[in-house]
Amino acid sequence: MQEILQYTWGALVSFVVAFTVGITYMGLNRKITARVQNRIGPPWYQNFFDVLKLGSKETSIHHGVMQHMGPAFIMVTAVMSLLIIPILNDNRFFPNLNFHGDLVFLLYIMVFGPLGMALGAGQTGNPNSAIGVTRGLSQMVGFEIPWVMALVALMIQYKTTSIVDLMNLQAETGRWLMFTSPFAFLAAVLAMLGMFRYAPFDIVGAPQELASGPMSENGGKYLFVMMSAGSVFAFAKLTLYVDLFMGGANNLIILVVKTFILYLIPMLYGIVSPRYRTEQAIRYFWGWPSLFGLLAILQAVFL
Amino acid sequence: MNMIYIVFIVLLGGALLTFFANRISGLLRDTFFLLTILATTVLFFTKIHIGDTVSFTLAGLNLKWGLDAFGWYFSLIVLGLGTMAAFYALSYMKGKDRLGYFYFSFLISILSMLGILMSHDLVSFFIFWEVMTWSSYLIVIYSGRNVQKNGINYILLSALGAYAMLTAIVMVYANIHTLSISEMINTYPQFSHVQQVWLPVLFLMAFSVKAAMMPLHVWAPGAYSDAPMAYTSVFSGALSKMGIYGMVIVFVSMISYLPDDTLFKETFAWLGAITAILGTLWAIAQDDARKLLAYSSIAQLGYIITGVAVGTDLAMLSALFLAALHALFKGTLFMAVGAIERQTGTVKFTEVTGLIRKMPWTFIASLLAIIALAGIPPLGGFVGKWMLYESLINSNHYILVIAIFFASTAAFLYCYKFLFGFFLGQEEKEWENVKEAPALMVLPMLILAAGTLVLGTFPGILLKPADAAMQTLGYASTEGHLWSMSILFNEWGDQVLLRPLVYAIAGTFLFFLIILTVKGWKNTRYVSTKDISSSGEVPLEYENLTFSVNFYQPFLRAVGPVMKKRMIYYYREFGSGMEALFDYSRRIYNGNGQTYAIYVMIFLVIILLFKNSIFG
Amino acid sequence: MVGTPVLFIAIPLLAAFLIPLLGFVWKESVRILPGLVLLYLLYLAVNLMGQVAHSGTIVEVIAGWAPPWGINLVFSPLTGLLTTLMILMGFIIWIYSYRFKNIDFREAVKYFILLLMMITGSVGIVLTGDIFNQFVFIEITSISAYALTAFYKGRDSAEASFKYLIIGSLSSMFLLLAIVLIYSQLGTLNMADIADKAHLMKPGFKILALIFFITGLGIEAEIFPLNGWTPDAYAQAPGPVGAAFSGIVVKAGVYAMIRVIFTLFDVSGTHQFLIIIGMITLIIAEMAAVKQDRLKRMLAYSSIGQMGLVIVAFGIGTEEGVFAALFLMLNHAIIKSLLFLSGSYLVYNSTEKYIHETDGLAKHLPITSFLFALGAIAIVGMPPFAGFWSKWSILSAAAHSNMILVIVLILSVSIIELVYYFRVVNRIYFFPKQKEVEPKRPTINALIAMSILGILILVIGFYPDSVTGYLHSASQSLLEKGKYIQDVLSTGQLFIQ
Repeated sequence: MQEILQYTWGALVSFVVAFTVGITYMGLNRKITARVQNRIGPPWYQNFFDVLKLGSKETSIHHGVMQHMGPAFIMVTAVMSLLIIPILNDNRFFPNLNFHGDLVFLLYIMVFGPLGMALGAGQTGNPNSAIGVTRGLSQMVGFEIPWVMALVALMIQYKTTSIVDLMNLQAETGRWLMFTSPFAFLAAVLAMLGMFRYAPFDIVGAPQELASGPMSENGGKYLFVMMSAGSVFAFAKLTLYVDLFMGGANNLIILVVKTFILYLIPMLYGIVSPRYRTEQAIRYFWGWPSLFGLLAILQAVFL
Repeated sequence: MNMIYIVFIVLLGGALLTFFANRISGLLRDTFFLLTILATTVLFFTKIHIGDTVSFTLAGLNLKWGLDAFGWYFSLIVLGLGTMAAFYALSYMKGKDRLGYFYFSFLISILSMLGILMSHDLVSFFIFWEVMTWSSYLIVIYSGRNVQKNGINYILLSALGAYAMLTAIVMVYANIHTLSISEMINTYPQFSHVQQVWLPVLFLMAFSVKAAMMPLHVWAPGAYSDAPMAYTSVFSGALSKMGIYGMVIVFVSMISYLPDDTLFKETFAWLGAITAILGTLWAIAQDDARKLLAYSSIAQLGYIITGVAVGTDLAMLSALFLAALHALFKGTLFMAVGAIERQTGTVKFTEVTGLIRKMPWTFIASLLAIIALAGIPPLGGFVGKWMLYESLINSNHYILVIAIFFASTAAFLYCYKFLFGFFLGQEEKEWENVKEAPALMVLPMLILAAGTLVLGTFPGILLKPADAAMQTLGYASTEGHLWSMSILFNEWGDQVLLRPLVYAIAGTFLFFLIILTVKGWKNTRYVSTKDISSSGEVPLEYENLTFSVNFYQPFLRAVGPVMKKRMIYYYREFGSGMEALFDYSRRIYNGNGQTYAIYVMIFLVIILLFKNSIFG
Repeated sequence: MVGTPVLFIAIPLLAAFLIPLLGFVWKESVRILPGLVLLYLLYLAVNLMGQVAHSGTIVEVIAGWAPPWGINLVFSPLTGLLTTLMILMGFIIWIYSYRFKNIDFREAVKYFILLLMMITGSVGIVLTGDIFNQFVFIEITSISAYALTAFYKGRDSAEASFKYLIIGSLSSMFLLLAIVLIYSQLGTLNMADIADKAHLMKPGFKILALIFFITGLGIEAEIFPLNGWTPDAYAQAPGPVGAAFSGIVVKAGVYAMIRVIFTLFDVSGTHQFLIIIGMITLIIAEMAAVKQDRLKRMLAYSSIGQMGLVIVAFGIGTEEGVFAALFLMLNHAIIKSLLFLSGSYLVYNSTEKYIHETDGLAKHLPITSFLFALGAIAIVGMPPFAGFWSKWSILSAAAHSNMILVIVLILSVSIIELVYYFRVVNRIYFFPKQKEVEPKRPTINALIAMSILGILILVIGFYPDSVTGYLHSASQSLLEKGKYIQDVLSTGQLFIQ
C-alpha cells in the first residue's frame, strides 16, 4: 500500500511538473515563432490561459463513447510515459515504474494514446478528423523507423533495454551518449521532428486545410484534457531524449535547460520550413534519418 | 478401446451423422454438430493425457498416434477456437444451404488437425495433412465464389507443398526403413549431407504453404476471404498453425543439426519478416475486410515464422505465444466480419460505416482483438511482441528487428482502418436499421477477445504450457527462475511484473475517464454524426461525409514501388506458360488415324535403331 | 473344388452363344444371363483364389495335351487376382448397364454378347499359358472392342472404331511376327517353355521378338506413342464400355506385356525402358488431359496416364514396385470405372459431351455427382481414399530404388492431374447449370453399381490390408519366374508319367 501511495505521489508530482513545463514550452513556442515571423505574438503564459479557459468551459455535446474516451486514452499515454521515463537521475524525488526492458514497452505505450484518440476522432464522423488520423498514422510509420533504429542501436551497444541502465552508464563514464553514439542521436532527433508534428510535418492537423484534423470535433473539457496530455507528453518525450542521450539531469533546472535546448530543434526547424505532404514526409524519414539509424546500428555492431 | 481412437471415432462418426442428419432436420444436424465438437473437446482434455500413445499396423506400415506436450499446446488452439467457431457457426450459417456439407467438412478438418498433432509417424502425418487440405478446400469452395481461381490456387499450392513433403517422407522411409518421426529425428544427424539439406527444404515447403509464407502465400487471400467467416476464423487461427507446428519440429530437430544451419535460419527468419512487411502493406491497401484480415494473417504468421526460425528459447516461446494469441484475436476478427456480413450484407469498408452504436458488442470484441493484434499494451499481443523483439535483439538480429517493428507499426494503419471503416465515421441512413448480431455469435467473439485481455495481465497461463511444449522439443525449462504467473522475463534475466503496469494503465484511464464524464455530466448530450463543424456549417442530411475511399492513399503512394508487382502475377505467367505447353502436347493427338499409324511405325523404327543401346 | 479355370473361358463363350437363342424365348433373359454367368464366375474366381492361396498355382491342361505341347491355363496368385478383378468389374458394369438399350432388343443382344466376349477375351489373355492362344484372345477382345466402339453407329464412333481397327491390326501383325520368330527359333509356343529355353535363342532374334511384342502389346497397353486410338475409342464408346476398356481391356494388355517382359525374356535394359516409356506416356497424357474440353476424352487421357504410371511401377522391377503396379491397376480399375460410369450420366443427354455441360449438375444428380467427386479425389491420390495407397507404394518403391527423379516427375504430374479433376468437380458443384442441358437421372441399378465402386474405394482407402495380402502374393508370383516355369512344366511331366 505504501508503495502504491508512493508511486501515486510520484506520478502526481511529475504530472504537475510536466504539465507546467510542457504548457510553458508551448507558449514559448508561439512567442518565438511570432518573433521569428516578425510578429509580437502572445505572452509566454498565454497557453495557461487557453488551457484554463478550455477547462472551465461547459461542454454540452459528445459524439459517442469512443469520442468521449478518446482524451482519456491519450492521457494514459502521457501519464504512462511519464511514469516509465525517469525524470531525474537515480529516481530522485519522482519514484516511478521504470523497469528493465522498458524501452520496448515505451515504444508501444507511446502509440496507445494516439490510436485511442484516433478512434475517438473517428467516431465524430467529421471527415477531416479521419483524414488527419490517416495522415498521422502514415507519418508515424515514417518516423518510427529511424526512432526504433536509434533505440535498437543503443540497446545493442550497451546491451540493455533499460533506460535507467543507460542513464547510469552515462553517469559512470561521464560521457553522453549523444557523443558516443552520434548517429543514433541524429536519427533520434530527426525522428523527433515527426513526433512533435511541427512544420514541415504538420499536415496531420494542418489548420488551414483540415480544421485541426483529429481534434476538430473536440472542444471544452475534451480539448482541455487533450491539450494537457499533449504538453505532458511533450515534456515526457523531451525528458526521454535527455535521459537517453544527454546524461539525464540531477535536478529540475538542468532538466529544464536540457529539454528546452532539445525542444528548440523541432521548433526552429519548423519555423523555417514549409509543409511536406504525407508521402514526402514518409520518404523523408526513410531517407537520411533511417540512414543515420543504420549507421548507428553498424557503429553499435562493429565498434 | 483407447481414448485416442474414441476421440477420432467420435469426430468421424459425428461428422457423418451431422452430414446425414441434414436430410432429416436442421435442428438434429445442429445438435449433432455441437455435440460432436463438445464431446471431442471434453474427451480430449479430460481423458487423453500427455504421453498416451497407441500404435497399429496398416498396409504393412507401423503407425503410431499419441499426444505430447507440444501437440497438446496446439490442440488447445485447435479445439478452443474450434469450439468457439462451432457455436458461432450455428448462428452464422443459419439459413444457408448445403449445411450438412459445411458442418461435415468443418468437423473433418478439426479431426485432421488433431490427427496431425497426434501423429507420431510420417504416414499418418501425411494422411491427416492431406485430409486437412481437402476438407478445408471443400469449405473454401463452399460459397461457390471464384472456385476455379481461388479454390484451384489453394489446392494447387497445397498439393505442391504436400507432395514436396511426400517426397521427403519416402526419402526418409527408403533411408531408415521406419516411419516413426522420433526415429527420423534421432537418425537425422547420420544422414548424408545432401539428404540433410533436402529433407528440411522439402518439409518446410509443405509447412510454408500452410503458414502462407512468401512466396507461397498466394492462395491465402482468396481462400481466407472465400470461406465462410465461421470457418475462416479456424482456418486462419488454427489451420495455418499446423504449418507453424511442422516448422517448429523441422527447425528444432533437423536444421539445428546442420553444419550450415545459420543460413537456413537466417533465410527463413528473413522470409518471415518479408512476409510480415508485404502482408501488412497489402492489408493496408484492401477495401474488403476479409481480404484485409487475410493479408493481416499472412503478416502475423510472418512474425511467428521469424520467431521459429530464430529459434532461441525466448524467440520460440514468443512464437508459440503469438501463435495461440493470433488464434484468439484473428478468430475474433474474422467472426466480427462474419457478424457484420450477416447483419449488413457487405464487408466492404467503402460501403458500410458507423456501426458502433448498432453493433456495440461486436465493436468491443473487435476493439480488444485489434489492440491485441497491434501489440499495444496492456493486452496479450504486446507480451508476444515484446518477447519477440527482445529475443531478436539478443540474438543479434538487428536489421530483422527493425523490419519486424516496421511491419507491426504499419499494422496500426490497417487496424485503424478496420475499426474506423466498419464502426466509426458517419452513420449513414442506409444502415440505420442494422441490429446487433445474435448472442450466439457475439458471445464466442467476446470470450475470445476476453482471452487476449486476460493473457495481457497473466501471460503465464499460456506461457506455462508453451514452456512444457518446448521442453518436449528439448529446450531447457524457463519456468521458475524466469517467469511465474504474471511476470514476464527478458533475456537479460530481468523480471518484469506486468500487473503494476496493467493496473497503472487501467487506473490512469479510469481516473481521467471519470473526470471527463463527471464534468458537466448533466449538460452533455449525444449529437449525431451529421451534427459536426464542417467549415462552420452544419452539413445537411443528404450530404455524404463518409471518408473511406482511398483511405491510405498517401501512405500507399510512399510505399508504391514495393507493391508494384504482386507475386501472383508471376504465378499466373508461369501458369499460362504451362497451359500453352499442355495445349501443344494435346495436339500430338490430332485425331487422324494415319498419323497414329505413323506414330506406331516411328516408335518401332526408333526402337529398332537404338535397340542395342536400349537393350544392352 | 468348385470348378476349374477353363470355365472362365467356356461358360461365357457358351452363354454368348445362348443369349440370342434364349432371347427368342424370353426377352429379359438376354439381360439376366450375362449377369448370372458373371456372378457365377465371380464366385468361382473367389473360390479359386482361396484355393490358390492355400495350395499354390493351379495349372489346367486343356484337351489332354500336356504342356509344352498343348494349351494350358495358369491360375496363379497374379493371374487369379487379375481374373477376379476383371470379372468383378464386368459384373459391376453389367449391373450398371442392365437397362441399357431398354427398348431396342436387338441392340441389347448385340451389346451383351460383345461385352461378354470382351470380358472373356481379356480373362483369357490373363489366364492362358500359351502365346498363340493369347494372341487369339487378344483378337477376340479387340474385335469385340472395335464393335463396341462403333456401337452407336454415328459418324464419330465409326471413325473412332476405324482408327482403333487400323492400329489394332498393326498390333496383331507385330504380335504374329513376334510369335513366328519365337516359334521358328524355339519350336514352342508355351510361355513357360519359351521362358525356360529363351537363352537358346539368338540374341538378335530375341531382341527383335521382344521389340515386336512391345510394339504389339504396347498398343493394347496404351503406351505412348502407340495409343492414338485410345481417346477416340473411349470417348465414342458407350459409357459402360469406356469403363470396361479402362477397367478390363487395358489391364489385360498391360498384363500381357508385363508377362512377356518379366517371364518370357530376360533382356537387360527392359526395366529402364519401361520406366522411360511409362514416364513419357504419363507426362504426355496428363498434359494433354488438362486442355480437353470433353469429359470422356479427359478421362481417357487420364486413363492413359495412369497406365503409364503402372508401367513405370513395373519398370522399377522390385517386389515393391510390382506390388505398387498391381495395386495401382486394382485401384485404377475401380476408380476410373466409377468415373466413367458416373461421368457418362453427367453428360448423358449431350451429343458433344463437353465438360461445361456438366455445370451445376450436382443439384440435379446429387449421388452421381458425389460419386464422381469421390472418384476424382480418390484418383488424384488424396488420403484416406484408395488412390493414396497405390501412390504411396509406387513412391516408396521408387525411393527404395533411389529413383528420386521418378518421384519428382510422378508428383509433378499428380499436381497437373489434381488441377484438371478439381476443375471439373468445381464445375459440377458450383457453376450455374446450363439451360439447354437436361440431366438424366441414373437408373437404380446404375446407382447400385456406382455405389459398390464407391464403397470399394472407401474400404480400400480405410483398410488397405483387405487387398494388400493378395497383391503381395501376386507380385511375388510374377517375380518368381523359375517357379512359374516349374509349375507349368511339372504339370506336363506329371501328365506324361
